[in-house]
Amino acid sequence: FTEMPTDNFVESSFWNFDALFQPQQHPARDQHDTFFLLDPAEAPQLPPGYSSKVKKVHSQGGYGSQGYRYDWKVEEARKNLLRTHTTSASARALFQLAQQEKFSPVKYFSIDRVFRNESLDATHLAEFHQVEGVVADRGLTLGHLMGTLKQFFTKLGISQLRFKPAYNPYTEPSMEVFSYHEGLKKWVEVGNSGVFRP
Amino acid sequence: LINQSSSSSFTADEEFDELCFEFGLELDEITSEKDIISKEKGEEKAKGASDVVLYKIDVPANRYDLLCLEGLVRGLQVFKERINVPRYEKIIPAEGEGQKLIITEQTVQIRPHAVAAVLRNITFTKERYESFIDLQEKLHQNICRKRALVAIGTHDLDTISGPFTYTAKAPSEIKFKPLNQSQEYTASQIMDLYRNDSHLRHYLSLIENKPRYPVIYDSNGVVLSMPPIINGDHTKISLNTRNVFIECTGTDITKAKIVLDIIVTMFSEYCEKPFTIEAAEVVYPNGKTHIYPELAYRKEKVKPEVINKKIGISETPSNLAKLLTRMCLKSHVIGNGNLLEVEIPPTRADVIHACDIIEDAAIAYGYNNIQMVIPKTYTIANQLPLNKLSELLRLDLAAAGFTEALTFALCSQEDIADKLGMDMSATNAVRIANPKTAEFQVARTTLLPGLLKTIAANRKMPLPLKLFEISDIVLKDPNTDVGARNYRHLCAIYYNKSPGFEIIHGLLDRIMQVLEVPPNEENGYTIKATEGSAFFPGRCAEVFAKGQSIGKLGVLHPDVITKFELTMPCSALEINIEPFV
Repeated sequence: FTEMPTDNFVESSFWNFDALFQPQQHPARDQHDTFFLLDPAEAPQLPPGYSSKVKKVHSQGGYGSQGYRYDWKVEEARKNLLRTHTTSASARALFQLAQQEKFSPVKYFSIDRVFRNESLDATHLAEFHQVEGVVADRGLTLGHLMGTLKQFFTKLGISQLRFKPAYNPYTEPSMEVFSYHEGLKKWVEVGNSGVFRP
Repeated sequence: LINQSSSSSFTADEEFDELCFEFGLELDEITSEKDIISKEKGEEKAKGASDVVLYKIDVPANRYDLLCLEGLVRGLQVFKERINVPRYEKIIPAEGEGQKLIITEQTVQIRPHAVAAVLRNITFTKERYESFIDLQEKLHQNICRKRALVAIGTHDLDTISGPFTYTAKAPSEIKFKPLNQSQEYTASQIMDLYRNDSHLRHYLSLIENKPRYPVIYDSNGVVLSMPPIINGDHTKISLNTRNVFIECTGTDITKAKIVLDIIVTMFSEYCEKPFTIEAAEVVYPNGKTHIYPELAYRKEKVKPEVINKKIGISETPSNLAKLLTRMCLKSHVIGNGNLLEVEIPPTRADVIHACDIIEDAAIAYGYNNIQMVIPKTYTIANQLPLNKLSELLRLDLAAAGFTEALTFALCSQEDIADKLGMDMSATNAVRIANPKTAEFQVARTTLLPGLLKTIAANRKMPLPLKLFEISDIVLKDPNTDVGARNYRHLCAIYYNKSPGFEIIHGLLDRIMQVLEVPPNEENGYTIKATEGSAFFPGRCAEVFAKGQSIGKLGVLHPDVITKFELTMPCSALEINIEPFV
């Protein structure tokens, strides 16, 4: 796996949400889950051709999808925030990959900080780290995703795994990964995953 | 999203838990009314409360059809193949007999869209009634975005007579008795009445400052509701209500249609003719009409081999059709047996692409039944150069006797400005608009405050305290596409009875040694005496390397030390390591 550049805590709503098919009226974009910026409040540049494609898919559909059918606003996409997940960096990396003349399979990873507007308590911080991995190739299946996750967690010493259907705006199918915790004597969630929507 | 249900159609708790896991629901908690009150108010108050087992279930954010007990049980029973997917039928009444909702042009300025439908001969019980109200509230919070996009109004049809008019009037012209009140109020009085109501006050701002408020009348001038605030008392639904008129108004027509579809499909179960919904006609200002609810059944054709390939299984087309039907997506094989026709019901507005269908097939098959394989992709592993350099430097700093710290990237304004003797405007910092506390007002522009706060929290540790951190700071930068960027900084501090400038200087020399940067001006590094607001006068130097200033080192000013609640001398070094990548 090759490391992705993630050295930008400040991200635009475009890369953090819109490019990941998270609708503009989604609760997670609310004031109380995301740190929005006062200064710089708006991203000066969005990739022009790409942002109009994103607009179309949200408002009318595309690539086989019905879309969300609402008015997509570019002002909303320009709003700057502190990234809520490193998937925004993955989106940028995949965009770069798409600019290549010829497609080559890749495996990317990153381990970096993310920010969520939460009150601090025993199990929640406003800043924490995420480990992210992406595999892009032809003919990948859900079985491949499960196999990769199994290998990854086994290396961490976690081998008893179960997968559960979940929902992310940008992946379908999506799975939450659960592992049996000997100390707590119950199944706990150890990760989230999915196949990116076409 | 929490849904309380007392589920009697399933057996043991464990079995239900397993079922939820497979289906994609989270069984959050198994409790009872008694337990809930016990936890919140103490055991005394809980005496006499219900012991009936309650399941708290978390439902995925995109599944509006599972938000009420009716939909949840229906979905699970179809999944277990105990019942067939119900077919929701729209009944269009004969000419002149159906209900009409006329929209006037005044609504265009405020909340232009409206849809409506009727549930005929419905039978309510206490549980069904509560479920009905509960679903509306959940939809309001969820897809309606706290009523901002869509507001739902349900009315006892036998207390009013159509045709109904949806219009907008000045607040002083609207007068009616709101739900559960004893007298009539004008719209402006209603705003005041609910200003302190814990539930309704949040919605007042949606229409308060507009010149006209939305209002729905029947043909006799009776007010049905003033969306999105409150319904009229006249039309309130009771356990004896037999015919229900449902209207959804708002700013987003797609969501209004989805909301209407969900409510009618869920509760038409209790109509005399189950799963039938009477249509209503909406008349637009321009005279065009539309029949609602749409109850659109969409057909999508999918190749079975595509489903198999994307999941990594190999099921026959007829098996796949069976799997999908279990997920309420009625399917059958067509053509030469190599195509599936999938019917997407109005309850599954979340299915917008073939990949949604593929996911449902996988869920029905059982994720944990899929064979795990490793992708055959050959790639070459690589570490990001900047991160590689950081890792190597971390090892060497630790070897030099310093301890690594990991601190927050967000801090207060004072931390990066006042406490360091600087003016906020000179910091070029990125500022947060909605911090929950003052500790998260800005993104740090220097690693120093984080380390100093760490020392302040560890005063009981033996001296000297030697800490370092190699991590990102954030500065505004108009040249980037978002307007800010990260810089990888290295910061080290030495805290002891004596400042230890020579130790910090020695550390810098060691860092340059491992980076193979020679100590001369032309092609290496050098330091020059300078002034720094955070540093002791005469004990501060600027570090130059690779043709630029990369940071400072020196003894910290006593003011800085005091402001961070420390008492001993301290020397510090902070440089940008990106030029050395």
